[in-house]
Amino acid sequence: MTAPATTGTAVDADAAAPARKALYVYGIAPAEVRTPRSPGVDGAPVRLLTESGLCAAVSDAPPRLRPRRRDLLAHQAVLDELAAQGPVLPMRFAVLSPRPDTLLAQLRSDCAHLTEQLDGVRGCVELNVKGTVVPGHFADLVRRDDKLRSLALRTRRRPDYEANVRLGEAIALGVRREARRAAREVVDQLAPLAVRTVRGTTDDEQVLSASFLLRSADETRFREAVAARARACGDRLTLSVTGPLPCYSFVDPRPAASAGR
Amino acid sequence: MITYDDEVVCAPRAGTLYDVLELILDRGMVIDVFVRVSLVGIEILKVDARIVVASVDTYLRFAEACNRLDLEHDVRSKTVPEMFGSPVAKTVGKAGARRTARSLTDKVRDVLAPEHDREEEAEEESEGRPRERAERGRSPQRPRGRTAARPRDDDDRPRSRPRRRTDEEDR
Repeated sequence: MTAPATTGTAVDADAAAPARKALYVYGIAPAEVRTPRSPGVDGAPVRLLTESGLCAAVSDAPPRLRPRRRDLLAHQAVLDELAAQGPVLPMRFAVLSPRPDTLLAQLRSDCAHLTEQLDGVRGCVELNVKGTVVPGHFADLVRRDDKLRSLALRTRRRPDYEANVRLGEAIALGVRREARRAAREVVDQLAPLAVRTVRGTTDDEQVLSASFLLRSADETRFREAVAARARACGDRLTLSVTGPLPCYSFVDPRPAASAGR
Repeated sequence: MITYDDEVVCAPRAGTLYDVLELILDRGMVIDVFVRVSLVGIEILKVDARIVVASVDTYLRFAEACNRLDLEHDVRSKTVPEMFGSPVAKTVGKAGARRTARSLTDKVRDVLAPEHDREEEAEEESEGRPRERAERGRSPQRPRGRTAARPRDDDDRPRSRPRRRTDEEDR
């Protein structure tokens, strides 16, 4: 019974706009890639626009774009499919080109720079390593650190809400400090295995966030190294590796800006 | 000996959407002639997902766990495995890590998928607690003097947590 409505929208979309519709842009790849089969943002089919030896993976932009879980995953899935075939320059989520000809003109005018960037990530993958604070060794910390230990004993003699908060805060601080130290060691050990390393933002909970550009051949070695570090500092830091990913962190965020401004 | 190191804490997690969120949203290319749609609510989402550790609730949990440690005599010469081997420290470390991680992922899941039902969360909560309580009940080496202090300690804690625990037991 919903069939008529569905057909209706499909017809509308066709009629609305062969030329004028905004495009959602996923990424840029060399011209020879296959069209990704995974559905794009808002379920739209993905197609390729080719120009000057480059192609852009696009789909019709949805009327309203929000950071919904399934749309974020769709963005990621399309790029994964492209990355599996070779180098790709991933766009940030929610980048639109107002019209197809704007996009094609951009590919044409920025061709040299884009090609150069594609060469920069050819044969490489991004692995992202995150580390979160683990309080597994806090007992050890309290016993070793004289300040914490005496604060703990004082709190025990005169326990009240305020004292407990103060004690807990001091422990949390110590635990975090140890985790940060471990995180620095992890990056120092892993960076030599990578072509490039980019650090991300950290906070009180996630004290390590770094992306590593690796030659595909080095991925296994890198994972082994992460596992070894995870064992070594597991009582202070939980490590997680995500990837292989399209090289989000290793593309010039604004190629046109560096040339134009 | 330190089994949780290998099994629980160290096992590298598989990537979730949360793990790539900042990459998808903050890295990657933006070209000037293109338009980046401004995503209402995304900043809040990211900040909200993180505020977990630096909270009074966490502090109180640390303090509570700390109050159960044996600090009366100097144990600094002990080896690390001995210290982690004590049942109390082990459970606390484990539960603490797991709970922190859970609260984080839950929050993200809630934000990213508001339609997600909360039953699972409640289930996980009640699964963690009884074990912790059992452990506390049978800890044998607690010095005499501290038993007197315990009830007061309990009184000092905010009411919400113990009460929630009984709710779960009734179910």
